[in-house]
Amino acid sequence: MEFRRVDELTWEIPPQGGMRVPGRIFADETLIDLVRLERAADQVANVAHLPGIVVASFAMPDIHWGYGFPIGGVAATMVSEDGVVSPGGVGFDICCGVRLISSAFAESDFERRRDRIMGELDHRIPRGMGKGSIAPGRLLPAVLERGAAAALEAGYGWADDLGRCEESGTSTGADPAALSEHAVARGGDQLGSLGAGNHFLEVQVVDEVVDTTAAAAFGLARGMVVIMLHCGSRGLGHQTCTDQLRVMGPAMIRHGISVPDRQLACVPVSSAEGMGYLAAMAASANFAWANRHILAHEVRRSFATAFDVPETETGMHLVYDVAHNLAKIETQEVDGRPVELCVHRKGATRAFGPGHPDLPPDLAAVGQPVLIPGTMGTASWVLRGVNGNPAFASAAHGAGRVMSRKRAKRVESGRTVREHLEQGGISVRPGSVGLLSEEAPYAYKDVDRVADVCDRAGLASKVARLRPVGVVKG
Amino acid sequence: MPHRVLAHTADTGIEATADTLAELVRELAGGMFALISPLDPALARSWVTVGVEADTLPDLVVDILSELLYQSEVGDLVFCDFQVEMGSNLAVIVAAGGIPVSEVDAAGPPIKAVTYHDLVVEKRDNDWYGRVYFDV
Repeated sequence: MEFRRVDELTWEIPPQGGMRVPGRIFADETLIDLVRLERAADQVANVAHLPGIVVASFAMPDIHWGYGFPIGGVAATMVSEDGVVSPGGVGFDICCGVRLISSAFAESDFERRRDRIMGELDHRIPRGMGKGSIAPGRLLPAVLERGAAAALEAGYGWADDLGRCEESGTSTGADPAALSEHAVARGGDQLGSLGAGNHFLEVQVVDEVVDTTAAAAFGLARGMVVIMLHCGSRGLGHQTCTDQLRVMGPAMIRHGISVPDRQLACVPVSSAEGMGYLAAMAASANFAWANRHILAHEVRRSFATAFDVPETETGMHLVYDVAHNLAKIETQEVDGRPVELCVHRKGATRAFGPGHPDLPPDLAAVGQPVLIPGTMGTASWVLRGVNGNPAFASAAHGAGRVMSRKRAKRVESGRTVREHLEQGGISVRPGSVGLLSEEAPYAYKDVDRVADVCDRAGLASKVARLRPVGVVKG
Repeated sequence: MPHRVLAHTADTGIEATADTLAELVRELAGGMFALISPLDPALARSWVTVGVEADTLPDLVVDILSELLYQSEVGDLVFCDFQVEMGSNLAVIVAAGGIPVSEVDAAGPPIKAVTYHDLVVEKRDNDWYGRVYFDV
C-alpha cells in the first residue's frame, strides 16, 4: 500500500478501487515504518469502502493490524444518507476502555505498604480464565439497562463517579432484549472481572506533569499514586458481536452492500438491523461501564484495607472512564455544517475539546481526559481533548502492538519478563506467569512517541506521564 | 496436516489441511483450544455435544467454533478431544470433551471470538483447507 505524505505527521492513502474517501494515518517516520511492516494500511483502505463514510478513514498513531478495521481505526458515516454501522468498527470487546483513579497517597506511602496493597489487589480482583466475579449475576438485568448507575444503586462506587464517566456510565438506547440467551449466560458470572490478554490493573505514580492547569482540573499532581484499569464487556460483549455479525451477513446482501472484508459487515444505521445492533451494543456497553465501576470499588476497598483507613480517606476519586471500542451517534461538523454521524472508534479514544456540551462542568474549560495506557514496564499517558481535532474528536488508545504474541513468547519467558519488571521496581501479580511474555514491554511501540504524535498532530494535548509500580494481570 | 499457528500483530490465527471436512473441523477446533492450552485428548472427561447449520462452509466453521467457545466459557472447560459428524446440507455435530479450567496451565490468553477476517474454508484438489483468525 502506497502512502502520500501530506504533512509532517499525516500520511494519506489516495482513493482507489472502491474507496469512497482517502485513508489518513497520523504517524511520524518511525511509526509509519512500523505500519509498513504489516497489513494495517490495507485495512485503513478497506474501511474507506464503507457506504456513507465521510472525510477519511482515519488511523491513530498506535495503529496496528486488526481484523476488518485496523486497531486504531476511526470512521464516521452520515446517518441521513444511508451511512452504515459496522460491528467490526467496534470489535468483539464492546466498550472496552480505561478508568483512572486518583488517590491521597504518595509514592512513599505505596512503598511502605507495597506488599500489602499488591496482596489485597491480588486477592480481590477476579481475572484470567474461568468463573469469578465481584458482583452477583442478579444485578445483570439492571446493569444492562442502566450501566454504572445500576451498580452505584446496588452499593458499588461513589456518587461522584458517574459525572467523570463518558456518557455518565450509561449508554442510551440500550435494549437488554436485543441480547441473546448465550450473551446473557456468559455475562452472569463475569460482572466485576478483569479478563486476560492485554487487560490489566496497574498502580502508577504521576511521574511528570506537562500541563499543570489540566492536571489540577483532573485531580492529578506529581508524585501521586494513581490506579489505572483496562477491561471491557467480557464474554457478554464478545457473544453480542458474534451474534450481530451472523445477522449482518445476510442483511448486507438484502441492502445491496458489499465490503472487501467480511469482518466489515455493515447495514444502514437507520435499518432495523442497524438499530438492533446499536441497542444490543449499548446494553453491552452498559455491562462494560458497570464492570469497570465495580472493579474500581474493589480497588478502593483494597487500598483502604492496606492503609487501615476508611474508604472516604483514600482520596480515590475517579479521574475519568473512557471507552475506546464504540460506535456513537454524534453531531460533528463536516464541510462547515453540523451533521449527525455514526462515529466508529475501534481502538481509538473519544477526545472532546474544551467547551463541548457533553463534558461535566468542572472539565469544560480544559477538555476531556484522554487515557493512553502504555505497557506494564514503561509508562502511560493522560492527555486532554483539544478543539480542531482532525479525526472526529479521536485520539490513540494505547501504545499499539508491534510484535505478535507468538514472537513475543520466543524473545523472553514469562518468568524472565517478571524478573525484569521486579528489578525495575514494578511488583507483578500475574494470573499466569507464562502469559506475561505476550504482553512484555518489547511487544509494544514506544508509548512516549505515540503520545507525542497525538500532541503534535492536534489529536489531544499531553497532560501527565504515569509510571507503573505495580501490575495485576489476568 | 496438524494445524499451524499464524502470526498476527494483535490476535492469532490457525490454518490446517485435512482429508475430509469433518477432519478439518476437528483440526481447527483442536487448534483453537490448543492456543489456550495444548492438552492430551486422553484427559477429556467432561463432554458436551453441539450442532449447527449454516448457509455456507465458512459460516459453518465460524458458527461451530463460536458455539464451542460459548460452551467452554459457560461450562468452565477447556476442550481437547473432538468427535465430528457431518450432516447433510451444511450441518455439523461435534461432541467435545475437556477438563475444568481450574486444572489447566494456560499457554495463551482466552479466545474472545472467532472472526471472519481472512477466513478460508475450501476444497483444494484432494484436500480440505481452512484458515481462521481469532480475537484474543
